[in-house]
Amino acid sequence: MILAKNLTLAYDNKKNIIENANFRIKEKEFIFISGSSGSGKSTMLKSFYGELAIKKGNLFVNKHDLAKKDYGKLLSLRKDLGIVFQDYKLIQDYTIEENIMLPLKVHNYADDVSKTQVKKLLKHVKLSHKVGAYPAELSGGEQQRVAVARALAHNPSIIFADEPTGNLDDYSSDMIWTLLKNANEHLGITIVVVTHRIPTDMGIKYRRFNIEEGIVYEAS
Amino acid sequence: MKHLKSFFSFTFPLVVMLLMFAIYLIVTKVVSNYKENIINDYAIVVISNTPLGTIDELAGIDVKEIVPLSRKKIIKNVQQNLSDTAIDLLEKKLPYFYKIYLDDFPTIVKLQEIRKELKKISNIKKIETFSNDHNKLYSLLILVQNIIFILFGSVLILSVFLLSKQIKIWFFEHNERITIIQLHGGSLLYSSKPILKIILASSLFSSIVASLMLFLIMTNIHMLIEPEVMTLIPTVLSMEIEIFKIFILSVIIPVVTFFGLLVKYKLK
Repeated sequence: MILAKNLTLAYDNKKNIIENANFRIKEKEFIFISGSSGSGKSTMLKSFYGELAIKKGNLFVNKHDLAKKDYGKLLSLRKDLGIVFQDYKLIQDYTIEENIMLPLKVHNYADDVSKTQVKKLLKHVKLSHKVGAYPAELSGGEQQRVAVARALAHNPSIIFADEPTGNLDDYSSDMIWTLLKNANEHLGITIVVVTHRIPTDMGIKYRRFNIEEGIVYEAS
Repeated sequence: MKHLKSFFSFTFPLVVMLLMFAIYLIVTKVVSNYKENIINDYAIVVISNTPLGTIDELAGIDVKEIVPLSRKKIIKNVQQNLSDTAIDLLEKKLPYFYKIYLDDFPTIVKLQEIRKELKKISNIKKIETFSNDHNKLYSLLILVQNIIFILFGSVLILSVFLLSKQIKIWFFEHNERITIIQLHGGSLLYSSKPILKIILASSLFSSIVASLMLFLIMTNIHMLIEPEVMTLIPTVLSMEIEIFKIFILSVIIPVVTFFGLLVKYKLK
């Protein structure tokens, strides 16, 4: 699913942030990437969905070689991914319904199919009553639930989440973890989460990678 | 207010450019109308010792017709003062006269070329192009047409520059949305669809404004220009084609500018 071979990452040919990383993430796994602030965990996640170019080595995501700079292939890879950001990245002048519908529109789903799917997801994230609201009218926790619903909308094979609970209180954080766990357990979606705070009672099997001074290693 | 300002920042240069284009179209129409009128009256007279053969074109202009002038008619005009022997002699010695009608009105340069080409034909004794009568006004009209074309070209370059600046501002304003859509696999074109929609709406608005202004100019042209020049304006000036051309230009220029910028961003 994800395979890194001697992966080296850097911003604009500056000092390497990740050096010679080698790891494999299999289907349906739940992965945590942790490390101290500025260790490069978000940088590594960005390289998984092609937002950061690879300096050296190889990185395969769903058999797509990200070292090859092919814009068209990158877009088709992204269509099969779900991404959750710390700052939610919802489109402010779209309603909640339109935001969740975004990946379905990119996939050219018919409007009625998309609406049914959005309805189902809104119920799943307990936001059915907010269907016509705009992101600015929602709390941080609610916005993040919308972001998770958007990531789930098109049944992706992998969901990448960058500090999904970083800005949330404990109650909202618990809801987000539950949603991600359910996606992994019941839908079989591979989940890769960057976080500096792994919940103590995850209740599912997971693996953890730690990053220290640019070195990626699997923590026990 | 902000949206209105950016809308007018886009439509204003576009309307100015379209108006310049409309003026160019009017002048072109006036010139072609003048050309059509004079070409019917205009002919080159050629005097030749022997009958003239077929000539298909002169200096790249198609020859419409070669009309021989009746020699008997010419003799009849002068025979009153001549004796029969002199008339007989005149009939034998009188050269052949022809009027050459062209498909297009020639410029001074073309006329010189025509002269050279006709001189190459042996037995042609004299060529009269009657160029002075029409050519001064025609040259003046061509000059005006050229000046307006240059002005239009300059306004076009300036407009494209201003349009691209405004489109860049729109790209900047929509940057977050474009990034989010691209992160979800949407192409650059798909993610910048809202900008394209604004551009198309602005283009439509600009073409309507420019067409209305053209209509106003043409219906009130007698108030804008001197009565002596009015004779040059075609009596029936159909504006449908001109308005269509304005519409096409109003869409093509902004859309091409948009796609140019899109390619630039994609290469980045």
